[in-house]
Amino acid sequence: MRHLILGSGIAGLQAARAIRSTQPEAQITMLGREAEPPYARPMISQLLEGAVEPIHLDLGLPPDVRLISEDEAVSVHAAERTVATLQGRRLAYDRLLVATGADPRGIRAENTDLENIHFMRTKAQVREMLRALPQSRRALVLGGGLVGFKAAYGFLRQGLDVTMLIRSEYPLSQQVDPTAGKLVRDKLEENGLGVLVGKDVARFEEDGAGRVWRAQLTDGSVLDCDVAVIGKGVLPVTGFLEGSGVDVDLGILVDEQMRTSARDVFAAGDVAEHFDLARDERWVNAIWPEAADQGRIAGLNMAGVPARYPGSLSRNTIRIFDMDLTTCGLVNPPEDAGFETVQDGDAKKGTFRRLVFSGDRLVGAACVNRIEQAGVLRALIAGRAPVPCPKKDLLREDVHPAGLFPFFP
Amino acid sequence: MRQVVVHPERCVGCMQCMAACAAAHSQSGFLAAAIRENPLPAPRVHVGSGRYGEGFPNRCRHCDPAPCMTACLPGAIYRDRILNTVLIDPSRCINCASCAMACPFGVIRYHRDPWVSPNRAVAVKCDNCVHRQTQGLIPACAEVCKSGALTFEEPEGAMKRRTDEMARRTAGYVEQERIGEEAPGFMLLRQLKKRAIQLTE
Amino acid sequence: MDQKRHSRKTITEDGRLMLAKSEQDGVETVWDRLEAQQPHCGYCELGLSCRICAMGPCRIDPFGEGPQQGVCGADADIIVARNLGRMIASGAASHSDHGRDLVEVLEAVARGASPGYAIGDEDKLRRVAAEYGVETEGREVLSVAGDLARAMQEDYGTRLSRLGLLSRVPEQRQALWDRLGITPRGIDRETSEMMHRTHMGVDNDWQNLLLQALRNALSDGWGGSMIATEVSDILFGTPQPVSSRINLGVIQEDQVNIAVHGHNPIVSETIMRACRDEDLLQKARDRGAAGINLVGLCCTGNELLMRHGIPMAGNHLMTELVLVTGAMEMMLVDYQCIMPSLGRIAPCYHTRMISTSDKAKFPGMEHREFHSDNAAELARELVEQAVDNFGKRNPDKVSIPSQPVDLVGGFSVESVLQALGGSLDPLLEAIKSGKIRGAAGVVGCNNPKIRHDLGHTVLTSRLIENDVLVLDTGCAAVANAKHGLERAEAAERAGPGLKEVCSSLGIPPVLHFGSCVDNVRILVLAAELAKALSQDISALPLAGAAPEWYSEKAVSIGAYCVASGIDTVLGPTPPVTGSMNVTGLLTQGLEDILGARFAVEPDPEEAARWMLSRIEGRRKGLGLDSRQV
Repeated sequence: MRHLILGSGIAGLQAARAIRSTQPEAQITMLGREAEPPYARPMISQLLEGAVEPIHLDLGLPPDVRLISEDEAVSVHAAERTVATLQGRRLAYDRLLVATGADPRGIRAENTDLENIHFMRTKAQVREMLRALPQSRRALVLGGGLVGFKAAYGFLRQGLDVTMLIRSEYPLSQQVDPTAGKLVRDKLEENGLGVLVGKDVARFEEDGAGRVWRAQLTDGSVLDCDVAVIGKGVLPVTGFLEGSGVDVDLGILVDEQMRTSARDVFAAGDVAEHFDLARDERWVNAIWPEAADQGRIAGLNMAGVPARYPGSLSRNTIRIFDMDLTTCGLVNPPEDAGFETVQDGDAKKGTFRRLVFSGDRLVGAACVNRIEQAGVLRALIAGRAPVPCPKKDLLREDVHPAGLFPFFP
Repeated sequence: MRQVVVHPERCVGCMQCMAACAAAHSQSGFLAAAIRENPLPAPRVHVGSGRYGEGFPNRCRHCDPAPCMTACLPGAIYRDRILNTVLIDPSRCINCASCAMACPFGVIRYHRDPWVSPNRAVAVKCDNCVHRQTQGLIPACAEVCKSGALTFEEPEGAMKRRTDEMARRTAGYVEQERIGEEAPGFMLLRQLKKRAIQLTE
Repeated sequence: MDQKRHSRKTITEDGRLMLAKSEQDGVETVWDRLEAQQPHCGYCELGLSCRICAMGPCRIDPFGEGPQQGVCGADADIIVARNLGRMIASGAASHSDHGRDLVEVLEAVARGASPGYAIGDEDKLRRVAAEYGVETEGREVLSVAGDLARAMQEDYGTRLSRLGLLSRVPEQRQALWDRLGITPRGIDRETSEMMHRTHMGVDNDWQNLLLQALRNALSDGWGGSMIATEVSDILFGTPQPVSSRINLGVIQEDQVNIAVHGHNPIVSETIMRACRDEDLLQKARDRGAAGINLVGLCCTGNELLMRHGIPMAGNHLMTELVLVTGAMEMMLVDYQCIMPSLGRIAPCYHTRMISTSDKAKFPGMEHREFHSDNAAELARELVEQAVDNFGKRNPDKVSIPSQPVDLVGGFSVESVLQALGGSLDPLLEAIKSGKIRGAAGVVGCNNPKIRHDLGHTVLTSRLIENDVLVLDTGCAAVANAKHGLERAEAAERAGPGLKEVCSSLGIPPVLHFGSCVDNVRILVLAAELAKALSQDISALPLAGAAPEWYSEKAVSIGAYCVASGIDTVLGPTPPVTGSMNVTGLLTQGLEDILGARFAVEPDPEEAARWMLSRIEGRRKGLGLDSRQV
């Protein structure tokens, strides 16, 4: 059995591991755009921070996996079962996994190709940022999402002045509610971050040597910066699938076994669009643990072991300075749509909990501090079953499986 | 293979398992000295309270597949196949707490620990007392539990007992009281506590 | 924040409001600490853990697989009985020590050695002295007092074979105690013997242990507590019906607020007098305060309310919350039921905390010891310091909730007799005719495991709805008063028979009988009713309840009530269910032995039903009409 995996991220890696553990003789080929072998992508922010060395990110490969680096697919011929690559290769497969991930979105501004303007998606990009770090004083971060947020934090930890341009009142507005968001913003500002709301960059200007020097904002004002990071979201990499017969929405549409609409073609990870357990609709949740899970399940199915992926759930765990924040599911439900929010905080302990219910089902949770048992809430959301106890019992930071139900009469 | 089996209906909430677990993962290895160490040793099993004050020893299930393993960014969590134990390599752990979100049972904690990482906070969880088992001892929590809530046995044996119990319960002559016959005083206490708490709800 | 959460902790408005404020102010309360303790250790809850000797500590596995005996060989029955015995010893000792302190003051008054204390009720002094066989005819008050004090001190000792006030007990009951070998001989003696018997390797017969526990409790009920109440009446006056107000609304924003907490009127009476001192009142006015407002908490508050109508701020679970109002200049405490958390809460506000007893020191409190020779002066000094503290109040932190509720207190056996026209006959008639089905004592503490004041008020309401006259004491009386049950209008909430009797006598359907040692007033009334009918106490349509108890003192009280022939139902479960034998004896077997028994029922509705059915059963036994419950 020939397994071809497009992409060397965690989805592809987990698929390779799953295939290898069930089919010791299978042929596994992995095609990666980056020069690096598989690594833990989320850790690039710790790399920027200076908290880890590059080698800590390496994840290794299972035995006998052929890794082709610095190449990528340009077209898929499902009928022939072949994939054509940028470097001119023609790769045949019995089973194909599309795990090409998602690429950063661009912005409509001039001169984004100046030196020291980066996306933050790859180890290589962070390497560049670190190389220029000794000359960097003022960082500009566009976007208050996870990438922008982590870039800002990383630069702050490295001692730079950092200004963040965000659209909403607080960073992580897709992930957290206003209360937790304000806590995050306060914590960052306490530690030196400047936040500008509702502004965008119109053009970057250079210092005469091709390096970014200033940013001119849409309102005419000007910000000095010698390094910039654009974190305006990611888009699944699906362009090469045109004409392949693989149905694509925002991401590649997959079923519970991670199969696409094309025979023997699977998809997993940031490129895939599955059912969101909290939102009750199709959604792309481009996060590491989902990619890992999806990759593993895709790999099992590719190897002929039936496995079911029930759906994805957005979630994040962030630790900034002395504050921990974890979010899961639908934390910011639309107003007047029948969702019930229960929240509480203990100012003395510095904890905050926000829970979102749809009827009797927990669909979203945000926790500030004392996050070690948040997984219990995630399991409740993913389980989609009615909550077995009074809703306010879930607000405790020591929410414990025992406390959820009486387990004898 | 023998494993720690949890019988939650037997837990009386005394928390001896926590004390013994912490002592077993201390520098000194015994309780009286362990409480003076810096950093203080910490239990890997956590006794929580049910809705009506029931005790429940919350312990790592060493799941297979383990959600914490899948979620771990630096790949610090791995499985020891011989003892069927999921372990954390503290040298690889970056204390990012991604595993907190993954664990559906909430059994992972993050702190400096005399046993695995005295200088730096890392993720810490039950290690099945691997160090004790290799010396022919049984996990500390099961060793100290006096009420039979934590036992070290073949899971099949425990399951057989449960099957037999179910059979007895459904075999016609069994009423609710019969279950209480085993420990009538404890059942009575449970019922009274439950009623008192329900009155506050 | 979520107000509903606080409604689950208490039924009182002032409690709810202060709980919300305590959250805002970052103050930890007894409820927070209860939650942090969950789950409680089941061995201890079952009474199956034993720490009496160093061969242990031991526990018994209730599931039969782990150890079934302690290291010494004691089984579950013995361990549970020993633990219960020690609880009663501690409770009895507490009440009895309180009585002892009063006897010492009486003795000092007799010697002229305690300025600030005097004989308040000379009649009562002579009556009680006569009961002790002290000659009173034509003698000076103080010399009678001296002899009485010495006779009472004798009760504490080892030379007697029965306590001095046992003559109050109906003969049948005394004979029963003699037969069972539980006639109390000496107050300290019974406690001492209880401690001896529970030492490893002494009494290892669980029934024998329980009999001594009953005797120990009786040495409290007909001994230490009774002496405490009688001497308090002698020194400070026997309570007469008096109007007062209750709940946190009695705290005054424009006055110097001083709270007394604890038990012994030895301290609170002198504080009260100091608060009325004209010089100090003037000082207060100079400081911009309209006056000095003394409020009571718990039993010592009840003592002041009963005798002087001093307003009550709250019961056990309100003691922390009274500080949270931010309006207390000073709280003075003596002993018993004072949470060590108070000294840690007061620094969040400006309140000065003063401990007054050499037996009771607390973290965060200034210790100023009261003795009978320095009491009056020290009281004035401390009240003056409270006045000085008025200016340190932080107005931003002040919040005094609620309007106070009116009540009538001051029901002693003497005042009840007076209200009845000098004889028990009207009450007996009402009982015989069935207008009043019987009487119930609703007593005891608060416990955060039971929604604050819910147990007391629901139980009491059901009883009076069913024409049962309720006599209450301690925290229970405070709960009922706050709920409006201790005023004349409350007759509207009573059943038709009780309503009629109360209206005609001008009394509420719930009579405030005083502090916890004043539970003996209920015993005395029961004994007098029994004697009037030539019956034993257990024949009477009476029942007792402690719906929210927490303390060891309450265990002693419950035991002496049952031992005296009064059925008693408890709300929280005592730590005895580890032994079904002990549990069975307490809840069933005692009926055959003592004519009365315990019940445990956390639901006050069910508890009321039980009490009513027991009362109706007693009525039947007396040949009176009885209802189906």
